[in-house]
Amino acid sequence: MAAAAPGALAATDRKIPKYRVVSHYQAAAQPGMPGPYPGQVASVHAGNCIDPASEKPDPAVVREMMAHGMRALTGDADVRDAWARFITPADIVGIKVNCSGAPGIMSSPVVVAEIVRNLVAVGVKPDGIWIYERFEDQVESVHYDRYVPKGVHIWTAETRRGSAESYDPATYVETTFFDEDDTRSNLIRLVGSRFTKIVNVPNMKDHGAAGVTGCLKNIAYGNFSNVARSHSGSQTNTYSFIGTLASVEPLRSRTVLQVMDGLRGVWHGGPFSPNRKFRFYPKRMLFGADPVAIDRLLLDIIDDKRKAEHAISVWDRSAKYLGGDDDHRNNPNVNPFVREPGHIEYAASLGLGVYDLDKIKVASIEV
Amino acid sequence: MPLAFLAVLLPTLFWDRPVETADTLRKAGIERLYVPAGQQQAWRKAGFAATAFDRAHAVQAVAPTVEYHMDVASATRVPWVDANGWRFEREPGRSFFYDAPPGSAALAAAEAFAYGVEAAIRAAPEDLAPFVHMLKFLGEIDQPRLPVMANIGVIDDGSDTMAEVLNLLARHNLLFQVIPSADPKYDLNIHNVPEAANPYEFAMKVRRDLTDEKRLLRIYGSNVVLVRLTGDASQARVHLLNYGKAGVKGLRVRLLGSYKQGKLTAFEHPGETLEDYSVQDGATEFTIPEMGAYALVDLVGGR
Repeated sequence: MAAAAPGALAATDRKIPKYRVVSHYQAAAQPGMPGPYPGQVASVHAGNCIDPASEKPDPAVVREMMAHGMRALTGDADVRDAWARFITPADIVGIKVNCSGAPGIMSSPVVVAEIVRNLVAVGVKPDGIWIYERFEDQVESVHYDRYVPKGVHIWTAETRRGSAESYDPATYVETTFFDEDDTRSNLIRLVGSRFTKIVNVPNMKDHGAAGVTGCLKNIAYGNFSNVARSHSGSQTNTYSFIGTLASVEPLRSRTVLQVMDGLRGVWHGGPFSPNRKFRFYPKRMLFGADPVAIDRLLLDIIDDKRKAEHAISVWDRSAKYLGGDDDHRNNPNVNPFVREPGHIEYAASLGLGVYDLDKIKVASIEV
Repeated sequence: MPLAFLAVLLPTLFWDRPVETADTLRKAGIERLYVPAGQQQAWRKAGFAATAFDRAHAVQAVAPTVEYHMDVASATRVPWVDANGWRFEREPGRSFFYDAPPGSAALAAAEAFAYGVEAAIRAAPEDLAPFVHMLKFLGEIDQPRLPVMANIGVIDDGSDTMAEVLNLLARHNLLFQVIPSADPKYDLNIHNVPEAANPYEFAMKVRRDLTDEKRLLRIYGSNVVLVRLTGDASQARVHLLNYGKAGVKGLRVRLLGSYKQGKLTAFEHPGETLEDYSVQDGATEFTIPEMGAYALVDLVGGR
């Protein structure tokens, strides 16, 4: 396990940019993150959930994994009761998928379809379900529409990259990283105006800037505009920006459930996945309400795999491993940025969840 | 409305092709044009309001456009914009000449109009339709004489380094005005730029010294829209020039000052109105739902 290094390295002294958070939304009495199950994760493994050769998941096994995971997380005997703890029939539910690595890796349509099926089972109308992502050009290859009932919305914020029309002008984080002109990152308007709940569906991926990209990165960078500005040269501000964005209301309160799709994963080159040799097959799904706890487990999953492949750790901050994008795409010992896996611990400091492994309770299930 | 009767401050087509091409211009709706010296009589006989224009005595303007450097590191992910606003500010009262390649004449016309300068624009034949379309749009806009609004007063030393600094200030929407001597009405006065200074670093230092909080105008949602601001505390006009190849959706504008109402006039988007208008904390904000090459916003009721 890669548990020894993180604490010391995450404590590296970093300059935290001055953030100005603007939102008129009030926090819920109990915000969705970390919700009612802080520090609790249900980890479900099934050896036959995906065929690595074809990369096709088995919907029946995925269904079983999800049922086991939700029951283990909540302690309910009936899976519908488990979902009903998070979702009511009146809810308008956003399912935040991750398609930045599509078609190589994305929130599997089979997993998303199973989430939709469970939402409908607790009474949510298909018309009240929105599968959403920021960029249309990333989603179009996935074809979620072929897997979900008619009426479910499939929606993207930016039909053309950089378009700001779908973001809320009154809800944003303002900061300057690198003298950029546009200093605001605005929240997707639907999060405040339409959705009452959000289910977050990240993958298990390495990330060239953030170290890994899991629950926190998907909910943060995946819901705000103008976030790529946080990286420049070899420096990235993901350390503090991810947690800051994830904490903005109403995003924090309305994101009630994390379903990490680890049927397949990316151990190098993420968040993209043009090169299949860097994909692997954890055949695992993680369930929880606490994004920090799940991402803490993800850190070890990715770093252990990298170690097994003789690649440098996601924690390595050495300048000698820095290189260009082309090198990074092909060489697992090249970093495009000084990575910031400490963003997960930083998010914990903002109250988003539990980082300490000793305090995280994992229910491990084999299907 | 025949273009010949439009306001004199409208940019004008420069046409150095032979008078035998008159039908091309008539079909495009051109009635008024600049021609090289010695050709005006022939064009007048052909029925055009032709005036001789001496390119040699005009300031050369660059063709307005944007260049994307995707192969350059992420620090320069911001595209390079070729714009002339800084040049207009630096040389007030001069005439300007654009040699506009296809696709740039309409934006050149809007740019010259926004700064109220006399400009001759040599447009390609295939660009006449969008150029005339823009002239018609501009011809319907009134041109009240409003003072320039700027945060920064620049005492121009005429150097090439200063030229680049002015270009970068304009590029980053750091509103400036060239002035003869320091004036306390500006938040910041720039007297000189060290010859060895890196113009970009210098411009960014100016930004930090000024602070974003004091900036009269900010825009969010595009890095290829440049602005010019005129007016005063009671009324203001915001010119927005989009140097990008595509339209811009959801551009957010923040203007220091409390203006009760705003009216949008957007090229190729008739009837469009400002969205999410708000006045709070001493600033006015609004969203332009969609804009093409040019839009302007008139704000009134300031206090």
